[in-house]
Amino acid sequence: MSSIVLLIILSVYLAILFGIAHWAEKRGNSKWTNNPYVYTLSLAVYCSAWTYYGSIGVAATSGLNYLPIYIGPIIVIPIWIIVLRKIIRISKINKISSIADFISLRYGNSRLLGALVTLVCIFGILPYIALQLKAISETFHLVTQTSEDSNIFSDTTTYVAIALALFASYYGTRYVDASEQRKGIVTAVAVESILKLFFFILLGLYVTFFVFDGFDDIYAQASLLENFKEKNSIGGIPQAINWFFLCVLSLFAIFLLPRQFQMAVVENNRESHIKTAVWLFPLYLLLFNIFVYPVAWGGNILFDGKAVNPDTYSLLIPQLYDNQMVAILVFLGGFSAAISMIVVSSIGLSTMLSNNLLIPYGFLGRLQSDVQETNIKKIVRIRKVGIFSLIILSYIIYRVFVLDYNLFSIGMVSFVIIAQLAPAFFGAILWRRGSKKGAVTGIIVGFLICTYTLLVPYTIGITNSDNSFITNGLFGIELLKPFQLFGLDYLEAVPQAVFWSLLFNTMAYFAVSVSFNGNYRERNYAEMYIDIEKYVTTHENAFIWKGTAYTSDIQKVLNKFLGEERTKRALNLFRQKYNVSKTEELADARLVKFAENLLTGHIGTASAKILISSVVKEEKISLPEVLKILEESKENILINKKLTETSKELSIITAQLKNANEELILKDKQKDEFLDTISHELRTPITAIRAATEILHNDEDIPQEMKKQFLANIISESDRLNRLITKILDLEKFDSGLQKIYVTKNNIYHTISEVVKQLKQLIENKNITIDIISEKNIVKAFYDEDRITQVLNNLISNAIKFCPNQEGSIAIHIKETDKLIEVAVVDNGKGIDENDFEAIFDKFYQSSNQNIRKPVGSGLGLAICKKIIEHHNGKIYAENTENSGARITFSIPKYSRVQQRPS
Amino acid sequence: MKQRHQQKLLILSLFLLLCFNMPLLLLFDSVTSVGGIPVMYVYIFSVWIFSILVSLLVIKRYYE
Repeated sequence: MSSIVLLIILSVYLAILFGIAHWAEKRGNSKWTNNPYVYTLSLAVYCSAWTYYGSIGVAATSGLNYLPIYIGPIIVIPIWIIVLRKIIRISKINKISSIADFISLRYGNSRLLGALVTLVCIFGILPYIALQLKAISETFHLVTQTSEDSNIFSDTTTYVAIALALFASYYGTRYVDASEQRKGIVTAVAVESILKLFFFILLGLYVTFFVFDGFDDIYAQASLLENFKEKNSIGGIPQAINWFFLCVLSLFAIFLLPRQFQMAVVENNRESHIKTAVWLFPLYLLLFNIFVYPVAWGGNILFDGKAVNPDTYSLLIPQLYDNQMVAILVFLGGFSAAISMIVVSSIGLSTMLSNNLLIPYGFLGRLQSDVQETNIKKIVRIRKVGIFSLIILSYIIYRVFVLDYNLFSIGMVSFVIIAQLAPAFFGAILWRRGSKKGAVTGIIVGFLICTYTLLVPYTIGITNSDNSFITNGLFGIELLKPFQLFGLDYLEAVPQAVFWSLLFNTMAYFAVSVSFNGNYRERNYAEMYIDIEKYVTTHENAFIWKGTAYTSDIQKVLNKFLGEERTKRALNLFRQKYNVSKTEELADARLVKFAENLLTGHIGTASAKILISSVVKEEKISLPEVLKILEESKENILINKKLTETSKELSIITAQLKNANEELILKDKQKDEFLDTISHELRTPITAIRAATEILHNDEDIPQEMKKQFLANIISESDRLNRLITKILDLEKFDSGLQKIYVTKNNIYHTISEVVKQLKQLIENKNITIDIISEKNIVKAFYDEDRITQVLNNLISNAIKFCPNQEGSIAIHIKETDKLIEVAVVDNGKGIDENDFEAIFDKFYQSSNQNIRKPVGSGLGLAICKKIIEHHNGKIYAENTENSGARITFSIPKYSRVQQRPS
Repeated sequence: MKQRHQQKLLILSLFLLLCFNMPLLLLFDSVTSVGGIPVMYVYIFSVWIFSILVSLLVIKRYYE
């Protein structure tokens, strides 16, 4: 394929990515850009060209060793939920925008430490970026079948690198505040992560099932190759120790690599996204690793004995079978992997370079004298130039130094250098006594050992055979051989460098930290980092500072970087949060910390501190004093927390009590009313009985007939009294819950017919026609037959009572649905007043409109009906028919969940 | 997430550290094939899948 066509494809591809980034930037808050999946996929920037091409190279030449790079992260990812969350909280609160900020702030906002971390990162990452450029360049030449031009200016890939540098520097510097999120870049990286995984799996399937005949076939052919067993097993204990150190190394890398810190911490916009990443990211890595060894073995089989670079098997295999399409897709995947790493790393590095090195050590003075607009422009320009020159510098490194090395070894060197930050980094969040001096010493010692054991030999060239430094050691001293330092000869070069550098680094960090007194400021930040949970909402309180400062001075400094309007808004927010008066001229510790935070995102922690301290007058505080204040504030925070909790509980209890009280008052009122009505109802028959007996008692001459009439009255009134009391007791049982319902399977049609039979006499007396209207004669349901009979009896008796004396008619409708049965009793009487539809089911209801319905009966019947139906989990309601009769309907579930009658 | 449930994930991490290193790892150090895949790869990928499943389970069930 010609270079021109491939360049066009690449340009189109870059343009699409650019479009995606642009689109995402515009809709920063849409659910497409702001979700845990995009976050997890953006973490996959970990899989760079090294993973994409280098893993296959390693699997082909030295077998299993490509795996520890992913196993390290896998081991540590479950505790992200604790550790990463803590780091994210600390960073959000302090507006941290890079790992250099994170470490330097913890050790007393140290300018020196920030610069040191930045330098270590640059030394570690530039070769790594060079690795990506190497991968792009080599694969480009492979796909176009051209050879690399020794003249930089006539080599096409130089221009690809320049284009990349421009792309990154344009998109990486959209915001001045470096702690602000770059949605565009994140989304573009997430898309690239999908693409590279997809193309890689495609390649894996192609090699495994198209070129070969499945895993079996590859295994069968590969096992015949030379050294198959030695290459594909760990071997022995020394190799297992190698393996262990590689795991530890990559475990650190997943936290410390600037691009991982950028994506996992700075670009994180919701803590809860971690919970998806915890399982999804290992899954992503798994999918990426499954096909590595089949492709590598396939390459070994196909190119056995030929001198080709195993790193490029993924392109050579499809080319061997003349599959240009697959080769181009694989190339695009590798290109994606490389550019996302390059872009994200260079953004991270340039932020560090500007905020932790260039501004605090050089530009700060100049920035101080300018106005906001020019300041912003300057900062952005510093970063733009930073990103551009970092990428170009990497390209130069690639052309000058790393032409001979395979991808894996360059990546490893980077990892070891970055790992030097581990003791200071993890000490920052775990160990209160870790001090700045310890951190600085540790990093310098570790870095020097790395330089001696890896950087220098690699720069001279490890394949350079007449190099006495590597073969004989410095000054010919055996013990100083860089790859077998102090005689440690059973580990490989990289693991032994990891061991010695981290050993001395950690020891120096611990020893120096405990040997010298720390500064009060670093102890202050140590407390804040370690107890971050306590200071999440009011972290300004945790900052201890004594001295005199004026709000107006601080405001002037802020104006220079934030602009007047934003400064004013920020200060207003601050005043609201801490309830500070607007006229307050003296600034307190909280405002000082607040202002430093505001500046941190723009110019880094160290510069922010320098700027603020130039306008305030700080008094020295002793370390014990700081500790005492911290102790007090910690206690205060605890007490406050407890108080709010108790008051919350109290208010809940108060609300509950209030509700209960209201209910009680209502119940009391209802009870009074009930007693009133009941005594009235009881008195009516008693009065009648009393009157009749009095007459019988006083007057002995009443005629026999009359006497009989009076006695009959007495009997019927006593019966009424009796019925009333039975009903009251019934109702009471339902109310108090003593009444139980025992359901059995019954036929409602049958039940209704029985009730009608019982009432036959009454019905015939009034000449009423009665119909049961149902589709079927058998409608089965679960209910308590005695109780439902009671309900029906009541409803039908009522209907009979209210039917007109002539041409009365009653219809009983039965309706059956999937879950319910519904029974409606309809009469053609005067109907019910609309206002009373609900009230008729109350105890002792008496119609307010006595003209329509004269009260007959106890007034308890419908109330009991309602109770029974409710106990069946059913409903009962009243309405009027079209021709003014009343219709009372009840429905009960067919399969009631109430208790069945014990058999 | 409550601390007790966080500690489940911490224990998972320790478990993985043990599984992926010697001496446990060396027990499976063989190139014998199981359905075309060497024992070592089968072991590593199974532990890997196990860790994904356990994290998913703990997260889905206990993360508030």
